[in-house]
Amino acid sequence: MSKFTRRELAAALSTSAVLLAQAPPQSQDLPANPDQDLKAVQAQLRGNADQLDKFPLPMATEPATMFRP
Amino acid sequence: MSSISDDVFFASIAEINQKLTKKEFSAVELARAFCDRLETLGPRYNALALSLRKDALRDAKDVEGDIRRERLRGPLQGIPFGAKDLLAYAKHPTTWGAQPYAGQVFDYTAGVLKRILKHGGLLTGKLAMVELAGGPTYRYATASLTGPGLNPWDTTRWSGGSSSGSAIAVAAGLVTYALGSETSGSILTPSAFCGVTGLRPTYGLVSRHGAMSLAWTLDKIGPICRSAEDCGLVMEAIAGAEYDEPASAHKSFYYTPQFARDLKDVRVGFAPVDFSDGVDPAARADYAKALETIRSLGVQVTETKLPDFPYNAVISTIISAEGSAVFEPLIKSSLVDELADQHQIAGLKAGLEIPASEYLKAMRIRALIQEAFHDLLSTVDVLIAPTRFDPAPKIMQPLDRRVSDRPTPTTQGLTALIPAGNLAGLPALSLPCGFANGMPMGLQLVGSPFSENMLLAIGRSFQERTDWHKRRPPVATS
Repeated sequence: MSKFTRRELAAALSTSAVLLAQAPPQSQDLPANPDQDLKAVQAQLRGNADQLDKFPLPMATEPATMFRP
Repeated sequence: MSSISDDVFFASIAEINQKLTKKEFSAVELARAFCDRLETLGPRYNALALSLRKDALRDAKDVEGDIRRERLRGPLQGIPFGAKDLLAYAKHPTTWGAQPYAGQVFDYTAGVLKRILKHGGLLTGKLAMVELAGGPTYRYATASLTGPGLNPWDTTRWSGGSSSGSAIAVAAGLVTYALGSETSGSILTPSAFCGVTGLRPTYGLVSRHGAMSLAWTLDKIGPICRSAEDCGLVMEAIAGAEYDEPASAHKSFYYTPQFARDLKDVRVGFAPVDFSDGVDPAARADYAKALETIRSLGVQVTETKLPDFPYNAVISTIISAEGSAVFEPLIKSSLVDELADQHQIAGLKAGLEIPASEYLKAMRIRALIQEAFHDLLSTVDVLIAPTRFDPAPKIMQPLDRRVSDRPTPTTQGLTALIPAGNLAGLPALSLPCGFANGMPMGLQLVGSPFSENMLLAIGRSFQERTDWHKRRPPVATS
């Protein structure tokens, strides 16, 4: 990112005023407790890890690093 | 609103291009009409991130001069389009759909946008998206700086994401086409939910220079249009090697459906369960017809199944690990708590805890998935399945819970085709193919790497025999 003059930045941001006219984001999360959410996601990631552990992976398999098919 | 008729807002790229060159209306008149419509209707669907009226009208004047001097630059010349707000456009805000980046301004323009602008395209607006393109996870459609993407077919339902605004804008005739991005489903899902045609290109075929990264080894940029034909025209403009794209496949793309393989030589694989018990009951009749239409193209249809892998666990691990690495500075700052979705905040934080060994295990399994798909796609050329097996959910419905209470089929079919296709870097095309209780449904075609022309040829033939892609949502203009 480069630096802009205050005038340039103000002009740029004013064009995004439409954002303010739109529906404000409202978090509807249940549970509302962020700690519970974190625990839920951690449990999900542990579940993923368990599934990966169960997969019979030959020792010679190298990670996919080339994506140019 | 201008005097340009409603039909123009839903016309194809070729139709509009023809009207411009025949001077039925000028590029400036067209740009003004589309800007009016985008600014009026875009906010109603939470689809607009930023209007670019001033720049679009300036560029339209140039196009008008070019057309007057018969300097014709191809089919995209003078055509209004929109871009997902994860693509940088110099000196204008690029929010990535997320409050912590609401004031972010870059001094350069994304490679794909530069390519289209060079062809005379008119960028009329940046389009809304799910914050951080969904990040590792999110629970509610409200996970966006601009609010939930409202589906033009029923505004009590979600548009799908993360390219929400792109699909809404095309469906509601606010732009002729739009650019979206996909890490796992972010082009295909909103395309299916909004009843438009979306193309996810082969990994590395389209430059991501100037695009927000979510997962370096999965991110792709692609077009969302009204038809397969339009997707081909946009792809030709945006594909190709880019100096600033480390993952570039260094390949060009020329849209040449006339040279695609004879459809009678094409082998199409499907799983019968996907077109019966696996899909929403209200959509089954249309899916049966869609399958019949595919057969009627003369292709060889055969039953197939996906290789057995833990696709969701693999892709979730990769996106979580890479996404959290990308956004580590945000996660370690208090700004992360400004995101709209608590589940996304938790997902980003938890992603930093994934051990390297686990990420590498996922990437090693991914290598086997790529090999398995190479083998599978030597037995069939194209895989088809419903893009999503249920229609768009209600806005307030948690996205991590099952939409329907119908029993899970005993056989799995190709339900994991979205994560599988993304892990293998394969191209996919989603075509509108019917409705379930008034909501659009999509048919997904997946092929070998760089088989976009074959997918588009099938899509074009399908759309010559059907009119789902021509249906319009009930857009109230007053």
